[in-house]
Amino acid sequence: MFALTVLYDPDCGLCRRSHEWLNEQAKLVELNFVPCASEEARKRFPFLDHDLTKQDLTVISPDGAVYFGPKAWLMVLWALARYREWSYRLASPELLPTTKRVVSAISQNRYQISRVAGLGR
Amino acid sequence: MNIVVSTYLVYLAISIALTVWVAHTLHKNGRIFLVDVFHGNEALADSVNHLLVVGFYLINMGYVTMALKLGYEINSAQEGIEALSVKIGMVLIVLGGMHFFNLFVFSRMRRRSVAHQHPPVGPDSFTTVKQEA
Repeated sequence: MFALTVLYDPDCGLCRRSHEWLNEQAKLVELNFVPCASEEARKRFPFLDHDLTKQDLTVISPDGAVYFGPKAWLMVLWALARYREWSYRLASPELLPTTKRVVSAISQNRYQISRVAGLGR
Repeated sequence: MNIVVSTYLVYLAISIALTVWVAHTLHKNGRIFLVDVFHGNEALADSVNHLLVVGFYLINMGYVTMALKLGYEINSAQEGIEALSVKIGMVLIVLGGMHFFNLFVFSRMRRRSVAHQHPPVGPDSFTTVKQEA
């Protein structure tokens, strides 16, 4: 079955909370969560730059296509039944630059956001 | 039977026959669209097709029934035919509108199902995936 592998940062509260939220959502495509740069991730993707995956969310499809950062977020949205429409909307040429800027800002400041929101580091 | 009643009867006969004919056409030719929309799930396509036709019948028959009353006197066969042509013309326009609306729904469903299978963005790169043993 077609399933996307999501490499997430287990040390960040925001990411853990998002992970919990994603688990509750109805999906059109299965999502497998693997902590980034973990033993399992290195075993499954031996040629991937694992230091890079620590910097931002990474999604990998079964045929080896790698989506990094904002594109990975869009792929996660695409996998959700309720938000597939939004993934296309946010990926449209008019909105993609804004999407990238907002998503990157959240990713780069995820530890601060988690701290302010009281989600732990 | 006076001229008004016969006008009503002719009106009902023609309107109902037209509705049945259009519904039948939709039912027959819409099916292939729906089978495609539902990725070959014929049972689901037939079910949706049937439900659409029921809605089509209800709206059209409702309109035909409500538009029956003439509201003025008819004294000759000529006036009867004139009244009939206005009534039937309205029924045809409503049927045409409904028909195009149905086509719009079909094509929209189809476009959705075709367009949304692919990911929203292209990948950044490719890597080797080791299958779990």
